[in-house]
Amino acid sequence: MKEGFRQAMAWLHTWTGLIFGWLLFAIFLTGTLSYFKDEISHWTQPEVQSHPLDPVTSLGLAQRYLESNAGHASTWFIRLPSEREAALSVSWRDPNGGGRRGFTDKELDARTGEAVEARDSRGGEFFYRFHFQLQMPHPWGRWLSTFCAFIMLLGLVTGIITHKKIFKEFFTFRPGKGQRSWLDGHNAIGVLVLPFHLMISYSSLVIFMYMVMPASILASYGDSSGYFNDVFGRDEVPEAVAQAAPLAPLSDLYAKVQEQAPGARMGYIQVHNPGDRNARVTFTRASADSVAYQRSAIWTFDGVSGELLRRGAPESAAMTTSFTFVGLHMGNFAGPWLRWLYFAFGVAGTAVIGTGLVMWLGKRQLKHAKSARMPGELRLVEVLNIASMSGLLLGVAAFFWANRLLPATLEGRADWEINGFFLAWGASLLHAMLRSGRRAWGEQLTLGALAFALLPLLNALTSDKGLDHSIAAGDWAMAGFDLTALATGLFLAWAAGKMLRAPKPAAKRAPRAAKTVEAS
Amino acid sequence: MLGVALMGFAGFAGLCLAMEKHFNDLLGRKPTASQQRAMRVGGWALLLLSLALAVQLRGWALGLVEWIAVLMAGVTLWVFGLPYVPRLLLGLAAASLVLGPLLAVLAV
Repeated sequence: MKEGFRQAMAWLHTWTGLIFGWLLFAIFLTGTLSYFKDEISHWTQPEVQSHPLDPVTSLGLAQRYLESNAGHASTWFIRLPSEREAALSVSWRDPNGGGRRGFTDKELDARTGEAVEARDSRGGEFFYRFHFQLQMPHPWGRWLSTFCAFIMLLGLVTGIITHKKIFKEFFTFRPGKGQRSWLDGHNAIGVLVLPFHLMISYSSLVIFMYMVMPASILASYGDSSGYFNDVFGRDEVPEAVAQAAPLAPLSDLYAKVQEQAPGARMGYIQVHNPGDRNARVTFTRASADSVAYQRSAIWTFDGVSGELLRRGAPESAAMTTSFTFVGLHMGNFAGPWLRWLYFAFGVAGTAVIGTGLVMWLGKRQLKHAKSARMPGELRLVEVLNIASMSGLLLGVAAFFWANRLLPATLEGRADWEINGFFLAWGASLLHAMLRSGRRAWGEQLTLGALAFALLPLLNALTSDKGLDHSIAAGDWAMAGFDLTALATGLFLAWAAGKMLRAPKPAAKRAPRAAKTVEAS
Repeated sequence: MLGVALMGFAGFAGLCLAMEKHFNDLLGRKPTASQQRAMRVGGWALLLLSLALAVQLRGWALGLVEWIAVLMAGVTLWVFGLPYVPRLLLGLAAASLVLGPLLAVLAV
């Protein structure tokens, strides 16, 4: 009975892992990149200069720019520069204006307040969006990625049940032993980083719980917008009354917020009806300031008198719990070293999926090692493994190469970067179909190694933000990107070397240490 | 937080050495029963102590998150480094045993 249950779980783990593994690998990899969303965007828009932070001056500059360029807008949004974002971003909605739903976005230089003519690029935002929308029409991508999160959670639970010796082999990793080593690696990264894996997959379901379990929301609200207004504590904004009245200096209001919450960093500042007697100004605290999202950290002012009208409503216990999961998933609160750990654990999650896919195939290939041709279904899995792993890496590299090589004036430039990503990914699928397994791996990894390792050089040649400049100027987001690309290239070169060298016969080396007890 | 990380690292090293197989592989002899018990108790004590310290330094929310993060990072480094550089890691664990509490005392 017990063995039957474990076998059933192993079956579930094996097959859901295979079917969803390819997609999960992409979701995990792009999600991992998203921990450096702002840093990636910084690299993809090298025209934006970073300056020392000065929120008061920045607010004044934003207000001056918006008053002279968007006086008739119904709403302004301001994002102040932060440790991670160099630009002072402003956007406004003009009911009569063009753009996306009447929105216009501008990035200002944080020192001069002038608009920066940066190249059009989605930057880190592309990977972030792809991570949960999969470039599919709304809402299908969200549904599919949420379902994948559920499968990941299922994979973790069934994996724990399948893995018999979770404590006995807690510290075990035996390299150089073929399938044995892959299984050890898969288990060890899965178990040692389990708290992260569980948190990530469970919190994904919490983030989209309004989609996954909508019954109670629909029953009490009818639709989800009323629910969101209640959850996030948005208030009704009065209509403009068409009586001109000057807007209070935003820096004064900022000072009032600082009195109430000393040292608080601002996420964004929203101004409704600017220049009208019914102007409202809302300050929202940066999500970097706490683990859980805090709806109470909102301050609404009368935009003319500067009187504080409201603070956000306090959170209930259930809300704090779900906001904590959301906050943990996003990791906005993480400073530099914790952010690097988040990145490393994301890579670990990606590696668990990747090693699982490799093992599924390796185990079955062994049975056909003597026959000349691999059965069609195994060949299919092999091609998909190659395209979904090394192919995706090539796609990511292509995105960055396109970012530096496409002319700044190209029509639909940002879209062409994304096309570059998918074209490279598609080409890798084609390549994997035409070449034998090992060769395809080796060639794609070699290309990937070159593409990533040369990114710092490309950056130095096509912008004035090469490593020589960025390290000297202490621009660590820029330098960190280049150095990470270089490290990725070296890692891929190592992997490519393993693939291109003739395969060794299944190693039967004598154990190095005194003895290794049983190898069941 | 470095102190917490080092203490956690030493703690996991202790728990690893509390297992006969690993003790044997790493130190080349069989552990006595009392050595095993000492490693186990010492390992757990270090983990708990590092948790208390993390919470003390950073509060419950951040302390707990950062504690888990540095622990996971440390133990992953230990397990995947062990087959390649066992002596280095043993030395690192021994150094952490001294440096961890020292840094922690300085930070409080």
